[in-house]
Amino acid sequence: MKTPIIEAHNLTVLYGRKPAIWNVDFKLPEGQVIGIMGPNGSGKSTLLKAIMGVINPTTGYTKLYDQELEKVRHKVSYVPQRQEIDWDFPASVWDVVSMGRFHIRGLFKRLTSEDNDIIKESLEKVNMLGFAKRQISQLSGGQQQRVFLARALAQQGELFLMDEPFAGVDVATEELIVDLLKDMKSKGKTLVIVHHDLHTAQSYFDHLVLMNTRLVACGKTSDVFTDQILTDTYGGKLTTIAKISQELENKEFPIRHR
Amino acid sequence: MSFWQNISTYFSSEYYTFWVVSIGAGIICFAAGIVGTFSYLRKRALIGDVVSHAVLPGVAISFMLTGVKDPLYFLIGATTSGILSIWLVDFIQSKSKLKPDTILALTLSVFFGIGIVLLTKIQHSGDAAQSGLDSFLFGKAASMTMHDVITFSIIALINTICIVVFLRAFSIISFDEEYAKSIGFNVKVIKSFLALLTVITVAIGIQSVGIVLMAALLITPASGARFLTNSVKKMLVYAGIFALFSGFTGVIISSSGEAMPTGPWIVVVLSTFTILAIFFGKEKGVIARMRIRKSNNIKINNENTLKTIYKLSKEGNESISRDQLINNQSITQFKATLKRLEKNQILSRVKESVILTEKGKLAAREVIRKHRLWEIYLSKYFNLDADHLHDDAEGIEHIITPEIEKHLITLLDRPEKDPHQSEIPY
Repeated sequence: MKTPIIEAHNLTVLYGRKPAIWNVDFKLPEGQVIGIMGPNGSGKSTLLKAIMGVINPTTGYTKLYDQELEKVRHKVSYVPQRQEIDWDFPASVWDVVSMGRFHIRGLFKRLTSEDNDIIKESLEKVNMLGFAKRQISQLSGGQQQRVFLARALAQQGELFLMDEPFAGVDVATEELIVDLLKDMKSKGKTLVIVHHDLHTAQSYFDHLVLMNTRLVACGKTSDVFTDQILTDTYGGKLTTIAKISQELENKEFPIRHR
Repeated sequence: MSFWQNISTYFSSEYYTFWVVSIGAGIICFAAGIVGTFSYLRKRALIGDVVSHAVLPGVAISFMLTGVKDPLYFLIGATTSGILSIWLVDFIQSKSKLKPDTILALTLSVFFGIGIVLLTKIQHSGDAAQSGLDSFLFGKAASMTMHDVITFSIIALINTICIVVFLRAFSIISFDEEYAKSIGFNVKVIKSFLALLTVITVAIGIQSVGIVLMAALLITPASGARFLTNSVKKMLVYAGIFALFSGFTGVIISSSGEAMPTGPWIVVVLSTFTILAIFFGKEKGVIARMRIRKSNNIKINNENTLKTIYKLSKEGNESISRDQLINNQSITQFKATLKRLEKNQILSRVKESVILTEKGKLAAREVIRKHRLWEIYLSKYFNLDADHLHDDAEGIEHIITPEIEKHLITLLDRPEKDPHQSEIPY
């Protein structure tokens, strides 16, 4: 692999005593569409948040572009899970997308007309310009997702980390996102996407990270999308890791010291 | 006494206290209302309750240490224990599995309990200087001095300036904390700063309105304002005005008679505002919703009547009497419907019977088209039998917009006949 764009080194995140991700270690290539997949509660979102510095890992570290996150943060856009937000918040579509310029303007500076052009352009790319003044509470699930994507686009980053952008969206939005991903890839952007639908995995992703608290496999989709690895990731009602986690939590054993 | 003399007595020296108290109350309500808007937006309405109860031990301890009733010492003590309570809530939340409401209730009662224990101890200590400390419980607005008004004005000014300057920061952490973190904003500092403003406002306010009512001053203005607008900026303005006015009016009402407590009256006025906002708010208000429902009903009645006339005339009825059209409408509703249709040149009346105009025929065909298109959609995509389609389409035909109709026609490949083999009128 040339310069890895993301490197996770022995990453462990504990919630209380229970590991959400455990010793996850991988490198991801630049300019690809990369899927992070695994069953529910396998730590996919946690991994994304740890990479983005939204939560602090208990041990281990991540590097982006072979550097600390702080130095390259301006290149990275994060798209949180749509369901984690209260969409009844008093804001318009424009208000939300304009947040995509805050990383440049900081907490205090006004947005310029250049920013406004970028916001407009981003809204156009997701087909939502006509909804700019719409209250976010009036949007459908698919439209909400588009607004979040537009906000990430407005950041004009190089690397995009998206948490379940395909979850609960309509067919039109799904198609739009797929086209958008292709377009972004052709411009050399790197896309890391948490996803849970196995049927579409092969057609969407060049590269896959399969995990179930631990890392099961990481590699080209053609290499890792095999029956054996999928059974390893999804199979079995209670994996070894899950059993151990249960013990750790119930008996209050420490596995890491802060 | 003439009218002007009457008015001017209100500005005489006898009324000095009255003005001090009403203006002071208005200002502290304003300060709490705007900073409380963010507690509301962050869904931490109960935090106000926790903080206002949690300041009590701080007040008691500061008196025990200094032995004097100095507002500044009280402020320091109250702020310290208020912040401690917020920190404790966050700490328990991160370390235990307790649900947020349990943690809030727990923290509130523990702090308040300790506060009462200390207060009782002070009251029985025989120290004469302690008398009046219990006014922290229910407030003592009537004894407000010019000195207090100045303190209130300072905190109101600080809150206003901080909110104007940090509007972006406060809004983004209220909406999407994780995103704010992801773009490198120091969320922890912003949150602590907002908490500090809230606690100081509470610590200053309880000296006048009391612990029990302080929480209401934080949350009620914002919850009323939310019904009037969909923008954070406007919400702040409305909440501020609500609060200012309520504080002022509450004092006026309470001073108009015997045994009318100030703090509670302020809250009553504030709640009245909120209830009015719930009723009259645009879009979200009860009245606005009723209006929408009414206009929907009118549309449904119009279209149903139209459809019936069209069908009857197609079946060869030369003249259609009113009795055939009334459907489920009441007589008055029906008369209104006919009048509307006539006014819109959809139908014309000839003696006791009605006929559709050309415009009316087009409109009727549109409704029938939508009805039948929906029936086809249902039978195709819901796999329903032909006898299960009608009732659903009867409702949906009124909702389908031109865009959806166009979409349906493309989706269904411009069908000629519906599942009952009736033709679709294009």
